[in-house]
Amino acid sequence: MRLLPFEYAARNLGRSPLRLGISVLGSTLVVVLAIAAFAFVRGMDRSLADSGSADNVILMGAGSEESIERSEVRPNVAGQAEASIFGIRSEAGRAFVSPEVHAALGVALEPDAEPVGQAVFRGVVPAAFQVHPQVRITEGRSFRPGADEVIVGELAATRLGVPNERLALGQVVYVDGRPLTIVGRFAAPNTVMNAEVWAPLTNLQIMTKRDGVSCVVLTLDEGEFADVDVFVKSRVDLELAAITERDYYRQLSNFYKPVKMMIWVTAILIGVGGLLGGLNTMYAAFASRIREVGTLQSLGYPRRAVMLSFVQESMLAAATGAVLGALIALLLLDGVSIKFSMGAFGLLLDGPTVGFGIAAGLGLGLFGSIPPTLRCLRMPIAESLKAA
Amino acid sequence: MALIECRQLTKTYRKGESTIKPLDRLDLDVEQGSFLALMGPSGSGKTTLLNLIAGIDHPTSGSLTIDGQNIAKLSRSKLAAWRSDNVGYVFQLYNLVPVLTAYENVELPMLLHPISRKERHERVATALSLVGLADRHDHYPRQLSGGQEQRVAIARAIVTDPAILVADEPTGDLDKPSALAVMDLLTRLNQELGKTLIMVTHDAQTAEYANRTLHLDKGRLADDSVQAAFSGETATTQGAAS
Ligand SMILES: Nc1ncnc2c1ncn2[C@@H]1O[C@H](COP(=O)(O)OP(=O)(O)O)[C@@H](O)[C@H]1O
Ligand SMILES: [Mg+2]
Repeated sequence: MRLLPFEYAARNLGRSPLRLGISVLGSTLVVVLAIAAFAFVRGMDRSLADSGSADNVILMGAGSEESIERSEVRPNVAGQAEASIFGIRSEAGRAFVSPEVHAALGVALEPDAEPVGQAVFRGVVPAAFQVHPQVRITEGRSFRPGADEVIVGELAATRLGVPNERLALGQVVYVDGRPLTIVGRFAAPNTVMNAEVWAPLTNLQIMTKRDGVSCVVLTLDEGEFADVDVFVKSRVDLELAAITERDYYRQLSNFYKPVKMMIWVTAILIGVGGLLGGLNTMYAAFASRIREVGTLQSLGYPRRAVMLSFVQESMLAAATGAVLGALIALLLLDGVSIKFSMGAFGLLLDGPTVGFGIAAGLGLGLFGSIPPTLRCLRMPIAESLKAA
Repeated sequence: MALIECRQLTKTYRKGESTIKPLDRLDLDVEQGSFLALMGPSGSGKTTLLNLIAGIDHPTSGSLTIDGQNIAKLSRSKLAAWRSDNVGYVFQLYNLVPVLTAYENVELPMLLHPISRKERHERVATALSLVGLADRHDHYPRQLSGGQEQRVAIARAIVTDPAILVADEPTGDLDKPSALAVMDLLTRLNQELGKTLIMVTHDAQTAEYANRTLHLDKGRLADDSVQAAFSGETATTQGAAS
């Protein structure tokens, strides 16, 4: 293969420091944004996908299957379900049946101050820790039943927009003037629970002025979803609907599709902008080399050799920018959590995310250089040699 | 048989309604080892003819046989390979690659051939000392004078040892002393190395270095004078010579 030396491509980069700067920075920017967009969408997907356990079924009020917070279930449903449904998991005589109240409540930092934000509260009994094994107490202890005590997820502070220390052990927060002491902190990585505040079930019932619950979550063992469904259909009087936890979060995930679409559209628009900018600088750069291209061809270099060298040059700049962009993204975005209506989730910065970002930068280098190169080479050699 | 044989060689360009004919049914033979000067007014087709002989352009019609091969029939990529084997081109504006050193510029045409690094090095050194620039290997074109640049360009043109050298106004952009040095060099290449040399020039004095001068006018040959019999620059509007 008759190729131009690599030095030619490398040194061509130095011909215009300004253009080199623009190419590298453009690639850096696109890579950072691509990684951010991908980490966001994947982080959100993961938090919703990992929130559901395969064996869990949620019993909710019929007609409010799309939102647990709006659902109402009678107080006695947990007991009835435990007694009637076949195949519920149990350990040491305790069934995996968790009646829960879910409510978004305003949280204040002082007794009579305005709330600083809303957090999703979950009122639970000890069975909650059985049906949600992802939840692990990392500091302190769990609350005592009936006490004005809460435990907070590791992203609850992000959700509220307060510093993490403000939700440290021993701190007190207020809901409607009622003091709640933080006695424990928990982690439920990559699930919506990670940004929640958990409290005793009875307290939350009082705080939300209801005697029923929002839902009952149960873990099946030998039983099938059909067994739960039979229960729900036979007890029409309880006005229940059953949905697997997986399906519930999948459906929530669909709810966020427009958000994800918007993120992608924005990322693609920025990418196209970067591409057009890249094309522009490349057209200018290569246009000033038309006579040189004619000369190389007159020496006997085939067009694909010139093409390859120019693409190589552009890819070098793009690759430099991509590496820079990946480093910047890792520095800026690692450990960052985003707050959204379901709580908060961490950006997913892993190999595939960074790889995707780098690929976007390299793609920019490739597709940004081919059209200007082709235009440069389309001209007959005799004409190129006449160029200024 | 002549080294270069043009028969009814024609090049036309279409520009909207009208067509331009930079070369019009030209017949020309160039013997091996000769030094031919091409003169004529601007736009008379000199560069066009040079480009056809150098295999840079395709004729619209007619044949162009070089060393027994009709290069008018070669494909674009075959022609590129043919160029690198057979022709060295010297340009008015030198056309060195600015990001490569004198050494690398001269080495460039050899990278198209299976020549070892060691042999490339020897050949570049020989070519650069032949043009008197043995001490300028590492200089970039911007660090050289015009005359030196043109000599590097000549080294680049001869380093693959092609049979034919074409030069398009090689002294057109040089001051007098540099022009003289370049002409001496080209003459030596013709006389000592036996290169067949075709040179376009505007300058009658420069043309005197050649052993044959042709005048082009509107794409046709105006006259053909062998240097020995040449006296003055009388351009007649007679038809083509053979
Ligand atoms: N690529 C081209 N397209 C159209 N016309 C051309 C092209 N190249 C040359 N010509 C025309 O052909 C004629 C001869 O050009 P050229 O061979 O460059 O003349 P010169 O004798 O000055 O070197 C001129 O009229 C020029 O305008
Ligand atoms: Mg010309």
